[in-house]
Amino acid sequence: MSDRILEINDLSIEFRGNEVVRDVSFHIDRGETVGLVGESGSGKSVTALSVMQLLPYQYTRHPTGSILVDGQEVVGLDEEGLMNIRGNQVGMVFQEPMTSLNPLHHIEKQIGEVLYVHRGMGVVEARERSLELLNLVGLQNAEGRLRSYPHELSGGQRQRVMIAMALANEPDLLIADEPTTALDVTIQAQILNLLDDLKERLNMALLLITHDLGVVRKMADRVCVMTDGNLVEQGPSEQIFTSPQHEYTKHLLAAEPSGDPIAADTEAPVVMHADEVSVTFNLAKGMFAKKRVLKAVDQVSVVIRQGQTLGIVGESGSGKTTLAMALMRLTGSEGGIYLEDTPIQGLKAKELRPLRNQVQIVFQDPYGSLPPRLSANEIIEAGLKIHQPELSALDRRKMVASVLQEVGLDPAMQDRYPHEFSGGQRQRIAIARAIILQPKIIVLDEPTSALDISVQAQIVDLLRDLQRKHNLAYLFISHDLKVVRALAHELVVMKDGVIVEQGPSEQIFTEPETQYTKALMAAAFDLEAVEHASQ
Amino acid sequence: MASTPAQATDGYVVDTMEMPKWEISPLTKRRWANFKAKKRGYYSLWAISIMMVLSFFAEFIANDKPLVLKYEGEMYFPVLFSYPETEFGGVFETEAVYRSEAVQQFIEDGDGWMVWPLIPFSFDTIDLNTAGAVPEAPSARHWLGTDDVARDVTARIIYGFRLSVLFGLALTFFSAIIGITVGATQGYFGGLVDLIGQRVVEIWAGLPMLFLIIILTSLFEPNPIALLLVLLLFNWMALVAVVRAEFLRTRNFDYVNAAKALGEKDFTIMMKYILPNAMVATLTFLPFLVNGSITTLTSLDFLGFGLPAGYPSLGELLAQGKANIQAPWLGLAGFFTLAIMLTLLVFVGEGVRDAFDPRRSAT
Repeated sequence: MSDRILEINDLSIEFRGNEVVRDVSFHIDRGETVGLVGESGSGKSVTALSVMQLLPYQYTRHPTGSILVDGQEVVGLDEEGLMNIRGNQVGMVFQEPMTSLNPLHHIEKQIGEVLYVHRGMGVVEARERSLELLNLVGLQNAEGRLRSYPHELSGGQRQRVMIAMALANEPDLLIADEPTTALDVTIQAQILNLLDDLKERLNMALLLITHDLGVVRKMADRVCVMTDGNLVEQGPSEQIFTSPQHEYTKHLLAAEPSGDPIAADTEAPVVMHADEVSVTFNLAKGMFAKKRVLKAVDQVSVVIRQGQTLGIVGESGSGKTTLAMALMRLTGSEGGIYLEDTPIQGLKAKELRPLRNQVQIVFQDPYGSLPPRLSANEIIEAGLKIHQPELSALDRRKMVASVLQEVGLDPAMQDRYPHEFSGGQRQRIAIARAIILQPKIIVLDEPTSALDISVQAQIVDLLRDLQRKHNLAYLFISHDLKVVRALAHELVVMKDGVIVEQGPSEQIFTEPETQYTKALMAAAFDLEAVEHASQ
Repeated sequence: MASTPAQATDGYVVDTMEMPKWEISPLTKRRWANFKAKKRGYYSLWAISIMMVLSFFAEFIANDKPLVLKYEGEMYFPVLFSYPETEFGGVFETEAVYRSEAVQQFIEDGDGWMVWPLIPFSFDTIDLNTAGAVPEAPSARHWLGTDDVARDVTARIIYGFRLSVLFGLALTFFSAIIGITVGATQGYFGGLVDLIGQRVVEIWAGLPMLFLIIILTSLFEPNPIALLLVLLLFNWMALVAVVRAEFLRTRNFDYVNAAKALGEKDFTIMMKYILPNAMVATLTFLPFLVNGSITTLTSLDFLGFGLPAGYPSLGELLAQGKANIQAPWLGLAGFFTLAIMLTLLVFVGEGVRDAFDPRRSAT
């Protein structure tokens, strides 16, 4: 048995002749947690997958390097040897718990599979072991859940099942690839606690891959920083965070969204207010089924003032996006919605259309929010065609160019298609599409969540500049409290469709009143799980 | 890459901007390159295109009128214009029958000459000077022989090919328009519209199509337009499922919501934002639809319920082949024409499908 459970030397990875990872070397000792940090495309996941030799090897090569798992070379190992390493010595947990579990098999079968293959266990034995594992990962009512299918579990529960599967053979090394990115903050804190606890109890080493510096700081003993396929810095966690040496690490650490919202007049005129808005979805299927309804938004009243940001925070399923959709009249709702003094609830599509330019929206996913077959110019000018039909094509083109400049893009790129832009650039295009109509209000639905942190900070700065310049009102929806803190003047905390807490954002951040808000803050800023925060 | 702040180009002067020249989008270029890379589909497209273009000029290839004739110092173009026999000193005021010896004599008398097309028979020309009994075997005079009423098979195939292709294209075009409209409406609005639409489509598709067409065509004198309409009644469902699925998938995408937030009308959203996505699936389907349409027309003709007598029809040629087993050139000519045409179309369809497949384009 070697002291080093994993040792990677000069590893390079090549896809179809493109080198995506260059000369990466690091190691993990037994019982140690190492954080592998980098932005998307930095090669961190690819490096982790190569440990398990899970890359598509039809067109992948390792030009140089070796990977030693417990002293045994993995590169070039035959299928049988790899089977032994995968699952037995190294377990893996993936980011997306919905797609990493087979939707057609119940939990017992999926965990059992690992046990049949690697342990040769019988059905009864496997069942006992599965139950033991599910209890180990803290799945409540494990016995009753054995026969559940993945869709019957919540995201956090699914991630627990994934961890249970990875632990089934008591691996010496657990690789967790963004294990909490898809989860809500309170669940994230619970899963991180669980991983830490399991590591202690089973004397496992943990390779934690993440883009979230907060997570790494809390969990890792040592940190490796990757960018563009190079490992640029590694060292003890504290050292990296307090005195980073490499330029990129410094840049990454400085990129956390920061700053305060711009000063705003609390008595500014109200541009939009909602009065006891409710949105209900009919869950009953079929003609004669009993009526069952889900109240996604329940009697919510909010006020948005000119030049200010109203932040709406809450976990997934809290109804924050549905509320925004209702306010924009993109989904049906009850209750009063007023744009300045005009009631817009109940207006017909035709009557509403001329008012559409006053409220615009920017979505979370910059890949889904731009039509893939229209050029940037066509996307941005679409609104002008509707609301200012008198403009000529050239006039529109000029306006698009200047608005692109305003959001920090090169106007020369206006004939490119969405797939030719990076995520951050796409989000800028989405913002350009919104502001070219000179709206009074922009609804920002998690505009930074899908972006790398350094890009997040840039978008936050851009949004703040635009707000100052155009006196824009924002309705800012996010689960990321750090970003909300940097922008919001007023805050609404939502849970299960109702407002839990509401008030000036400074006040809520410093002295949260309700238990739920406190738990949310603790999970977001300190990554501390508060008991029964969301179970 | 993503971490560098986007460069604001301060030197960019908006005032002097001009409209860019229209260009083919890079995606289209890449697809065309992919299509070209697959030699089989590419050459098939060339072959079928050349055959189509040639057949569109069928009157200049196979006709019972001369291309050019000179009569008493003047030039005449009988293929393009109709001249009465009196023009050449004849007695009838009807159009001159240039194949008749009398008219040929008139022109010779008028110190003239005639240039005949490659095949001096039209699809309905009955050759009165056949060497033997009809159907006549292939010879230098009739390359593929004649059918049982002494009409030239080569000429009939050229005209029949044209009619089949045009009919297939027209049927596909109108089926596609109806299918896309119905599929798009169902998919975009969803809910009750979709539910009812889908049931109607299912019931309609369940009807015994061939028998209904036979009944309908026997009700009135069939002509190509009427036949097209009758076939259209049962042919439009092909694309509904594909387009509907694409619209159902896309209608809740963020960019559709963003378009609604801009105030776009439903129709614009369907046409501009969603339809381009559905077009890949649709275009991939089209060559196969053309194939199906041609086959349907041919089988109706074969059964005798299709185009009325007198039209150059490949199905009728096959039926003659069946009726005249002793004259195998009839059946073989019809068979090879259809086989080659349909095979080429399938190859083109495969090429299009592969060119549009994003997974294959990476190679």
